[in-house]
Amino acid sequence: MTITNAPKRRSGSLAKVEARQALGFASPALVGLALFTIVPVVLSIVMSFFDWPTFGERTFNGGTNYLRLFEDPNFLPALRNTLVFTVLYVPLSVVLSLALAISLGPRIRGRGALRVLFFIPVVTPMVANVLVWKMLLQPQGLFNGLAQTWFGVELPNFLADKNWAMIMVVIMSVWQGIGYNMLIFSAALEQLPESVMEAARIDGARGFRMTWSIMVPMISPAIFFATIMTMITSLQVFVQPQMLTGGGPGNATQPLVMWIYNQGFKFQDLGLAAAGAWILFALIITVTAIQFKAQKRWVHYEH
Amino acid sequence: MKKMRVGAVVAVAGVAVALTGCTSASGGGSADGDTIVVDMWAGSEDDTAALEAQMDVVREQNPDIKVELRTAPWGDFFTKLTTNMASGNMACVTGMNSGMLASYTSGFVKLTDEDLTKAGLASSDFAEGSLEILSNKGDMYGVPFDVSTMLTYYNEDQLTAAGADLPAIDWTFDDFEAAAKKATTGGKYGFGIGMGDFQWQALPIAKSGVQPVSQDGTLQLTDPAFADAAEWYAGLVTEQKVAAPVASASDGGWGENQFTSENAAMAVDGTWNAVGYLDNEAGFKAGMAPLPTGENGDLSLILGSGYGIAESCENKEDALKVLGSLLSKDSQDYIASSGRSYPARAESQPLYFESIDEAYREQVKATFEAAFANVQGQYVSDNWAKVGTFIQPSLVSVYNSQESMTAVLESAQQQFGN
Repeated sequence: MTITNAPKRRSGSLAKVEARQALGFASPALVGLALFTIVPVVLSIVMSFFDWPTFGERTFNGGTNYLRLFEDPNFLPALRNTLVFTVLYVPLSVVLSLALAISLGPRIRGRGALRVLFFIPVVTPMVANVLVWKMLLQPQGLFNGLAQTWFGVELPNFLADKNWAMIMVVIMSVWQGIGYNMLIFSAALEQLPESVMEAARIDGARGFRMTWSIMVPMISPAIFFATIMTMITSLQVFVQPQMLTGGGPGNATQPLVMWIYNQGFKFQDLGLAAAGAWILFALIITVTAIQFKAQKRWVHYEH
Repeated sequence: MKKMRVGAVVAVAGVAVALTGCTSASGGGSADGDTIVVDMWAGSEDDTAALEAQMDVVREQNPDIKVELRTAPWGDFFTKLTTNMASGNMACVTGMNSGMLASYTSGFVKLTDEDLTKAGLASSDFAEGSLEILSNKGDMYGVPFDVSTMLTYYNEDQLTAAGADLPAIDWTFDDFEAAAKKATTGGKYGFGIGMGDFQWQALPIAKSGVQPVSQDGTLQLTDPAFADAAEWYAGLVTEQKVAAPVASASDGGWGENQFTSENAAMAVDGTWNAVGYLDNEAGFKAGMAPLPTGENGDLSLILGSGYGIAESCENKEDALKVLGSLLSKDSQDYIASSGRSYPARAESQPLYFESIDEAYREQVKATFEAAFANVQGQYVSDNWAKVGTFIQPSLVSVYNSQESMTAVLESAQQQFGN
């Protein structure tokens, strides 16, 4: 009895000690989570029901802020811009980074170096990326210069043209973010079981068929993860339009987060900004939930 | 387990107490109750050193008051100020700029003549019109340390090479157009079109003699004289083609950058950049002139920065003394003789010109005197920040002929005019 009980007691007390230690180690993070995540989130819900200037008296106004959102001439365009950006950016980014990851397959010599090259824009400060793109796109820039010299054609003023500005923000964002998803897909592709691949090859799968019917379904969890994350970040897009086009021309590239930023920090109407932020939150949750619902149809976790 | 819970509660309570302690200790902007904090923007070590030199004057004049300087770069200063005001933690003596005041008036104490006396200052100490800089709807919220107005800067090499007349003190809008047209040659433009609030409004205001806001704070963007002048201004790009269209709405300093990179022969900018343009990195010979005169005169706005006292300041008496020292003759003489900016105190102003390179001194002096001769304080509406945020990105469409200036002004008037 004593022999059997003693280790139990020891393991019991050890578990307690470990639990205490774990809590000790986790408490700074928990305090941080409470102070910097939970409290602000709860506060922002409260805020969205108040007329809450940055300074001065705060008054409860029920759901008026949510109604005011739709009276603001810039809110719906900002929502539209965010959706347009997402609809253009997510498929482009995912498809191109997947194509890139597949093309940088085992047969390519120096693919490690190439991956690093494609990853560089992800870790380069956005300011530097934007400066380069501005130099390429402006009327006195490289693209227009080359077009005029080689073809005698004058290109549009891309960032100042209502019809082109959003397209350029998307293209620049795809270029900037492509390396991140590429790395996720490359890691997934490296993990493909050789036995399955060989079986497919023996069955005669080659080229597009091999990619579409074997590789893509097998890395579908990675594609699912990348799509979810890309979708969330693109609904929260801010820096690229802010720096590349300043939200202009007019409000043609102003996304929802820039609208929220303007309301909160430029116009000091925190209640309205909080209401806008909750609309964005609802949008992100809904889109993500739909994606999770839809994953059952196309994501395979078998292997 | 109980011990653990108690420990966790104590830890959380400790953090909470520490955090509340932080806020209450710095309430009213004092670091430890009897310290007067001065909050000002500073973008470089030079800026901070210059502010410290002024703080030394404060310490010398008020040995019994503890003062502390806090700084943030211009871009972050107003975000920080917004946060400080929201948390009741605004520094007792806080820097403010004329263009930004409208959004922050509720944080500052309205200053009276009695307050100025307590600070050891008098209205007559300051250059004419300068006390309007930090005033809003007739109330004074701060005292300026510098004054500025808008000027036309020009690239003498470029204008001379193009055979254009150089801008003179008493030049007109016709002279301006003629010079801009002549200098638009060989891939270069005569003028750098403005995107910043002051940079684009200066010429329309001068030409029409009307501000886009009336003295009582009513938005009047569609005032026929102002709207016509603004339409003329946009026409410099779209009709007269003497200025390059702007590449992006994020190019807030487009016209000024075109000028410094020698793509444009003239640009409108504030007196605060005079020394920078004269000693430009590109090495061209720069000159300056007041804004041209039109049929309706040559109205120009007086702008500038200064200090105000926070509404939440617990020690207003000492704060006023610090404010007085920051604007004392010694402090203003330092600003003037270092050439950093044109001081608001009239008796210190001549020192500014002595700091300018001898080659430019006379021109700068004559231009400044002429430019400040007919100035008016800037009038702003309550939602002026919204107006600027709406108009600036729309200007890009105007300069690229996708929209008319009149339509943009009408739209802004409709949205923000009530």
